Amino acid sequence: MQTSRDWIGTATVASLLALWAVLTMVTGTIDTLRFPSPVQFWQSLKQIATTGYADGTLLSHSLHSLKLVIMGFTVAAAVGIPLGLLMGWSRRAEALINPVFLLVRPIPPLAWIPLAILWLGLGDAAKIMVIFFAAFVPSVINTFTGVRGIEPNVIEAARMLGTGRWRLAREVLVPAAAPMIFTGLRLSLQASWTTLVAAELVGALAGLGRVLNVAQQDIYPAMVMVGMAAVGAWGWATTRVLAVVEARAMPWLAVRA
Amino acid sequence: MRSSTTRPPSTAERLLLGAIGLASFLGLWWGMSASGLVAKQFLPTPLDVLARTQYLLTEPFAGATLPEHLARSLERYAYGFLLAAGVGVPLGLLMGWFRWLDAMVTPVFDGLRFIAPIAWVPFAALWFGTGIGGPIMIIFSGAFPPCLINAYRGARFVDAKYIEAARMLGTGSLRTILEVLLPASFPAIVAGLRIGAGLGWQSLVGAELIVASAGVGYMMVQGQSNISTPTVVAGMVAIGLVGLVIDVFLRQIEAFVRHRRGLA
Amino acid sequence: MSAIEFDNVGRLFERDGRSFPALDGVDLTVADKEFVALVGPSGCGKTTCLRMAAGFEAPSSGRVLVGGAPVPGPGPDRAVVFQQFALFPWKTVADNVAFGLRNKGMAAPERRDRIAAIIKLMGLDGYETAFPHQLSGGMQQRVAIARAYVLDPQVLLMDEPFGALDAQTRVVMQEELVRIARINPRTVLFITHAVEEAVYLADRVAVMTQRPGRIKEVLDVRAIRAAENWDRHARVEDVMDLESFVHLRTHIWRSLREEKVGGER
Repeated sequence: MQTSRDWIGTATVASLLALWAVLTMVTGTIDTLRFPSPVQFWQSLKQIATTGYADGTLLSHSLHSLKLVIMGFTVAAAVGIPLGLLMGWSRRAEALINPVFLLVRPIPPLAWIPLAILWLGLGDAAKIMVIFFAAFVPSVINTFTGVRGIEPNVIEAARMLGTGRWRLAREVLVPAAAPMIFTGLRLSLQASWTTLVAAELVGALAGLGRVLNVAQQDIYPAMVMVGMAAVGAWGWATTRVLAVVEARAMPWLAVRA
Repeated sequence: MRSSTTRPPSTAERLLLGAIGLASFLGLWWGMSASGLVAKQFLPTPLDVLARTQYLLTEPFAGATLPEHLARSLERYAYGFLLAAGVGVPLGLLMGWFRWLDAMVTPVFDGLRFIAPIAWVPFAALWFGTGIGGPIMIIFSGAFPPCLINAYRGARFVDAKYIEAARMLGTGSLRTILEVLLPASFPAIVAGLRIGAGLGWQSLVGAELIVASAGVGYMMVQGQSNISTPTVVAGMVAIGLVGLVIDVFLRQIEAFVRHRRGLA
Repeated sequence: MSAIEFDNVGRLFERDGRSFPALDGVDLTVADKEFVALVGPSGCGKTTCLRMAAGFEAPSSGRVLVGGAPVPGPGPDRAVVFQQFALFPWKTVADNVAFGLRNKGMAAPERRDRIAAIIKLMGLDGYETAFPHQLSGGMQQRVAIARAYVLDPQVLLMDEPFGALDAQTRVVMQEELVRIARINPRTVLFITHAVEEAVYLADRVAVMTQRPGRIKEVLDVRAIRAAENWDRHARVEDVMDLESFVHLRTHIWRSLREEKVGGER
């Protein structure tokens, strides 16, 4: 069953790629000024990888974007997870913080971009700020939900065993909420990439979003496609890394399989 | 009675704590801008924002008043979201039913999934322009995945006994899809629509910031280039409020559907 | 000395702004090293009694004393075994058992010896590095009992510990508990639905009334057990066949049945 499924999938992807080549290069049904041909894509990829485009090579743009995503994501997780733990554990902390959270939360992260630019300009700081706002929310909410979802029995067992506050947080709350925390981190990571690309499209001096932006202005569809492919590849790669970390962090779930 | 948390505070204490939280947030904001700690130009007081919002309600900025910008945004949003739901839900259901379709679409979908919706902006502008078509495409690309995934999961993981019951009663494929699969996966579909609506609204903001020539996002970008911070914040508030209304509305529907099904 | 005393204990529950009495004047003493089983109709508040002795809940009126002092809150001197095991799924069997000892700040070598001893006693050898979900229900409950016993608590509070097990495993665990209780007697308050289990395990069986719960009667099993020499039988089923056992069981069943019929609202 699995193999026939793989075959159908491979065949579909292959035919779509073939169709793409035929329609752009043989029949000319698709105007290459609007959608690039495979060859144009390859040439643009070679161009940006070697000589560079929009003031940088593919590697330098990628590393720039990656650096910002990692920084914003890390800060958001470092603030969001403890805050989620606190709000999940203490009903008082929840009562204090939740109204502010409810007030700010409906504002989509992307809507912070103009304010971030006004405050911090077109440089890295503004990007980190918006990534933070985007990635912070899923981390808090999922950690909070994770803590609230812990079996009351498990907490009671820990209290019955005379567990101190710090050990309770580290050895009971965090591992018990870990699956939800990682769900939150995955969403945070996704939000980080989306927000970064948007922020760089609005205005940036380097990065994959800038590649997209310049390519759009140059009406250079092949380079747009290269930029999109790079965004997708990095999004995929960072998600994979997170999945590996997740599996390592929760060995007790791995044995189940 | 039993929960995994500390003892819950009384209602009065809860309200007091909430009020303290909100007051310190607004106080901090107000204090920082009123004291001149942060230049008023960059951080207007809540009152400035309110005054600016009132002004924008009647006076045009960036070519239109705030309600007119909102109307433009909502129009695009409605088209984009309906398109996403109209394509995503049926496709998801069919993928859940026909294994071959699942096998065909899933690898393509997985390949495109990691491209942030916003990264489609240049193509959207190139193909459909910056008026209404481009933004619609971006909203679509934001709202489409949850619509598809939830309908797919809902249909794929429908309890086999319902399907078997339908088979046993001699029901054909189409009727099974319409009368068993669709209603059985309905709660999942509604949840997907709600998530999609949220992401679509987000994407709309992004699209308008980058390519549009009208709409709340466009108004905010104009505010930013004119260093009119109150306009930017007023835009954020408007976007937040509308997003909230949409979310609350869809949550009500979701809760209703779940309630009817005895799920919550 | 570590007796558990319920002194005219009442407990109110608040719901929708109204309060309902769950317990009304519970008087019961579990003497030092005594095994008392508490049986009663569902919802009569027997679990609430146990949770108050554990310190998870406080009485609304009256006093709950352990070792002569009011219960301050949950603590390792009063170990609880839960019906749903409540093991830490992210910790191995050995780490689950070690958890409470680490809270006590016990030195590592001593800790290892204690853990090894209890794991052997509970028949868990070879499963030290397994995670709870890899074990059967019966084995999981052994780990939970080991986690409680290893602390060498004055008092053991067991809330339907075998309620989630299948019938056969349940019998094995009952025999195990009797064996361990002989080696290592403790003050035990044992909640159960199963009348046979109560009669088989306990020194005394306390029967509760319908909500609001009170102690209806207390039966001393010890005298009958000694007189009829139940202990000559190693197996549960042989004990349960004895006429004296059947007689006691039937008496308790009747007592409970009166509650169910008479106490229906």
